[in-house]
Amino acid sequence: MDELMAVLEELRPDVDFETEKGLIKNGILDSFDIISLVSSLDEAFDIEIKPADLIPDNFNSAEAIWALVQRLMED
Amino acid sequence: MAYVSLQFVIFTAAVTAIYFLFPVRKYQWTVLLAADYFFYLYSGYKYAIFIIFTTATIYLAGKAIGRSQETEKETLKLKKAEWGREEKKAFKAGVKRRQRTVLALALIANFGILIFLKYSNFIAGGLNQLISPGTGSGPIPMLKLFLPLGISFYTFQAAGYLIDVYNATIAPEKNFFKFALFISFFPQIVQGPISSFGQLGSQLFAEHRPEFARFKAGLELILWGYFKKMIIADRAVIAINTVTADYAKYSGTVILATALLYALQLYADFSAGIDISRGIAQMLGIDMVQNFRRPYFATSINDYWRRWHISLGTWMKNYIFYPVAMSKLFLGWSKKMKASSFGKTAAGAYVAKVLPTAFSSMIVFLVVGLWHGANAKYVAFGIWNGGIIMLSILLKPVFDRLCEALRIRTESFAWRVFRILRTFVIVLIGYYFDIAPGFRGALDMMRRSITDLHLRGGISLMRGLGLGKSDWAILAFGALTIFVTSVIGEKHGYEFPGEMLEKRSFALRWMVLFASMVLVAVWGIYGPGYDPAEFVYMQF
Repeated sequence: MDELMAVLEELRPDVDFETEKGLIKNGILDSFDIISLVSSLDEAFDIEIKPADLIPDNFNSAEAIWALVQRLMED
Repeated sequence: MAYVSLQFVIFTAAVTAIYFLFPVRKYQWTVLLAADYFFYLYSGYKYAIFIIFTTATIYLAGKAIGRSQETEKETLKLKKAEWGREEKKAFKAGVKRRQRTVLALALIANFGILIFLKYSNFIAGGLNQLISPGTGSGPIPMLKLFLPLGISFYTFQAAGYLIDVYNATIAPEKNFFKFALFISFFPQIVQGPISSFGQLGSQLFAEHRPEFARFKAGLELILWGYFKKMIIADRAVIAINTVTADYAKYSGTVILATALLYALQLYADFSAGIDISRGIAQMLGIDMVQNFRRPYFATSINDYWRRWHISLGTWMKNYIFYPVAMSKLFLGWSKKMKASSFGKTAAGAYVAKVLPTAFSSMIVFLVVGLWHGANAKYVAFGIWNGGIIMLSILLKPVFDRLCEALRIRTESFAWRVFRILRTFVIVLIGYYFDIAPGFRGALDMMRRSITDLHLRGGISLMRGLGLGKSDWAILAFGALTIFVTSVIGEKHGYEFPGEMLEKRSFALRWMVLFASMVLVAVWGIYGPGYDPAEFVYMQF
């Protein structure tokens, strides 16, 4: 989780990822952020996030992103 | 059947009445399906075969993929203990491959038809140019093709459905007729909004009872639509058509004014069509996605495309932008650049990071351009928009630093107004490609708008463009109404002006509504012998 927080911090230092629960719903992360995030996550955790994984539920909060990362690491 | 016609009003009223009076609510949706096909066949029965083909092929493909997903789940469950990780992985990959084949075949067939009908002459013309340049003709014959009503919209909507099924974000629809309703829903078939099955599907098939609040809001939205379409758009288009028919006759000032007028007309026209569609759906108990959010208040081109034709933007983002940007090819490029010596510099690391986004944006806008029509000018329109976005992504750190160096207060109101104006100018340049006869004409019109600009003569310059003094006054009034309601809407986050009236007194509300109705009746462009202008986006 700490590693994920570091990736998120680097992506958007202006966002409070600890508390924000509507990263997509509230339009905080846009599609450009998502692509940067995906490529950073792929690299950091050696996973392959696919377009099909890009549903709002997977990216609305740091916890949701972490759950996705863990699921893909198990695959 | 045009949206702006008595026939359509009667048709909609009849459908609404039958829909709510239908004795078996469970089958209420069949009224909508019947209405869709009546509307479609009435508008041009010859082309119904195309929408039926799309409905059938996408339905069957969706069903096949769905069945394969079920079998996959069952098999994995059965073999849970027996198979190791590698075996499971290999099995999954095999299943996915088969599903991908079905998806690809269905998409190729449907986009193939769209491309053939819409672009074969464009492609043939291009090839002829290559084979025998400058002659204007060539060995490949031009075909006389007509576009089935709404084909660009329903093909995209159907393709989105199938990709969602493939990605397992929705379950495929089992009932063929329900699926046919999703593809052909009459309020949106002509010009969208392009909806996703997840958002629209279940609403179409649910049982609905008439609700006063929905009727009122829906009718207000429809009225606002007719206001924009009949008072503003159909009036402005007269002057626009006069000038664009032979722009060389006019001064740069008039051309510039025409481009500005086109910005007003295009927004009024397209958003009016969507308002009418959404209003009808709202009365029927169905919420369709929003397609516009005051686009001319956008602070960047990127922002503009999140406010203009939102449903097409969402489609492009989900089905083109993400898959392309996340493709192995693009992410691979990015990785390779990162590893290179250039990638080790600060600028290089940044470029490597945003490279997939930048290229993918360009591809999206090329498709958006081509989606609008088969013409080199639309390709230019796409490259212009995509190019600006690409540059803004690649040069963001430079701009940020420049703002810092110049001590610009980026939170200030003045800076925001500057950004809005700057974005509008970029959008306006894109519009020149729309109104010009072709790519060269667009450049010529732009050149003259800058070099042949003089304010001598003032308003009298706009005389003789097919509109009288009172028409210009009405247009000014209409533009001002849109502007003021947009400013208030932007401030309070209203979706449409009707929301402003909600908290007002009963008397004021009805006075405004009554006055609007009278204005549409009196100032609306229509009457015996008048051929109401088709919605601009209908041709796409």
